[in-house]
Amino acid sequence: MIGFNKTTAKRLAFFSLLFFSFLSFSAAQPGLPPASEAATPPLGGNPQSVKGIRTIVIDPGHGGLEVGAKGKFGALEKDITLAISLKLKALIEKNLAFHVELTRDRDIDVSLENRAAIANTHRAELFISIHANGSYRHNANGSETFFLSLNATDEEARRLAYLENNSADLDKPLAPENEDDIKMILWDMAQSAYLKQSQRLAEIIQDELNSLLGTKDRGIKQAPFKVLTGVACPAVLVESAFISNPQEERDLVREAFQDNVAQAIYRGLVRYIKLLS
Amino acid sequence: MKKQKISPVQWTFLGLSLIVVLVLAAVLFRGEGGEKIRQAGEAESAENTPEPAPAREAKTIQLFFLSENDTLLHPEQREILAGPSVVEEAEQAVSELIRGSDKGYISPLPPETRLRQLFITKDGIAYVDLSREIMDKHPSGSSAELATVYSIVNTLAYNFKPIKKVFILVEGGEKETLGGHINLSQPFVPLYSMNAR
Repeated sequence: MIGFNKTTAKRLAFFSLLFFSFLSFSAAQPGLPPASEAATPPLGGNPQSVKGIRTIVIDPGHGGLEVGAKGKFGALEKDITLAISLKLKALIEKNLAFHVELTRDRDIDVSLENRAAIANTHRAELFISIHANGSYRHNANGSETFFLSLNATDEEARRLAYLENNSADLDKPLAPENEDDIKMILWDMAQSAYLKQSQRLAEIIQDELNSLLGTKDRGIKQAPFKVLTGVACPAVLVESAFISNPQEERDLVREAFQDNVAQAIYRGLVRYIKLLS
Repeated sequence: MKKQKISPVQWTFLGLSLIVVLVLAAVLFRGEGGEKIRQAGEAESAENTPEPAPAREAKTIQLFFLSENDTLLHPEQREILAGPSVVEEAEQAVSELIRGSDKGYISPLPPETRLRQLFITKDGIAYVDLSREIMDKHPSGSSAELATVYSIVNTLAYNFKPIKKVFILVEGGEKETLGGHINLSQPFVPLYSMNAR
C-alpha cells in the first residue's frame, strides 16, 4: 500500500513537473500564445493540439537498448514494431483527417511513462501500441489484441471510486471535441476511465487482423501493460504475431506481412471512428 | 625477546575487564540470546547423530508450468519440506519453479535465477525478491512475461492460504517490467483462468 502511494506521488510529481516545465517553456517562446492563454486548464496550453486537428498516437514498442523479444534468426521486436508503425502512420495520414504522432520515429529508447505522456500531451483520441509477441513455447503462434486490466484489488477500488465521481462524463465519453471540459485525473489510473472503449477498439482491430493476416486468432485479452496504464484515451496493444516462432518470425520481417498488419489496424481504426460519428 | 612485566595498574585493569565480560555473558545467556544458542546447539547435535529423525515432514504442493501444447499453466506435484513457517515453504516453492519440471513442462523462470528473499506481510502480500537473471536472461515478449508472473503468483496463492497477492522484486527493488510489457509496480492477485483444469 505504502509502495503504491509512493509510486503515485512520484508519478504525480513527475507529470506536474513535466507540465509546468512545459508551461514555462512555451511562455518563453516568442510567437507562441501569451502566458495567460497557455495557462488554461491542464494540457489546454499545448500549442500542438490546434482545435479541429485530431490526433492518433502510434507507439512502436521498445527501441534503443531495449530491443524487446528476439527471433531465432535475429529479428528484433523493436525493428518490426517501428516498421509497422511507420506504415500505419502513412496509411492514416493519406486517408483520414487525423494527425499521427509517433512515440518514436527511429531506433531510440523511450520510457514507458513517457509514451503515455506523449499521448496525453498531444491530447490523443486513440492510442495504438504495436508489438510482436514472444513466448517460452517455441510453437506459440497467432495474433492478439490487448487492453488494460487492473489486476490489483485496491486498483479496482480506486477505479470504482473514480467512476462514481465521474459517471456524468462517462455518459458522453466519445465526444472529445469538448476541449474545455478536460479534467486533471490521476495519471497512473488514466486508462481506467476508458476500458469500455478500449475493449471495443480491441475487438474491432482483432476482427480485422483475423480477416487479413491468416494467423491464428488468439482473441482479445486483458493484461496489466505498463505502457497503457497512464493513457487518457481508448488504448490497445496489438501483438501482431510471435517473433519467437520461427515461421512467424519469417512473416514478421516480410514487407507484405507488415503492410497487412498496418492495413488491418487501419481498417479497424476506420470502423471504430465511424462508430463514434 | 624481552619479557614484559605487568604493573599493578595493568593487573587491576585486566581484573576489571574480566568482571565486565563475565557480567555481560551472564546477562546474554539468561535472555533470548541464551535460548538461541541452545537451539543452535540442539540442531547441531541432531545433525551429528547417524540416523536423524525427520524433523520436518514432507508436504505436497502444485507447481504451475507452461506446456508446449496450449497457452495454460499446468500443475505438477512436488514434495517440499513442511514448515516451520509458510515463508520457508513458499521459498521452496519458488526455488522448485526455478529448478524446473520433471515432466517435460517448461518453467518460465530462467534457470540462472536465484531467490534472494521472500517475506509475507500481515495483509497477505508475498514479496518475492529475485536475482537480476529474472530480467537479464528473460526472453521478453508479452506472453513470456505473463507466464513468468503468473507461474509465480498462481503457485504461491494456490498452495499457501495466507498469500493473497504477490509483489515481484528484482535485486531488492521494485522494477517497472521484466522486459518492457507487464507492470511489476503493483502486487498481483492470482489469475486462475490461466491454470489448466
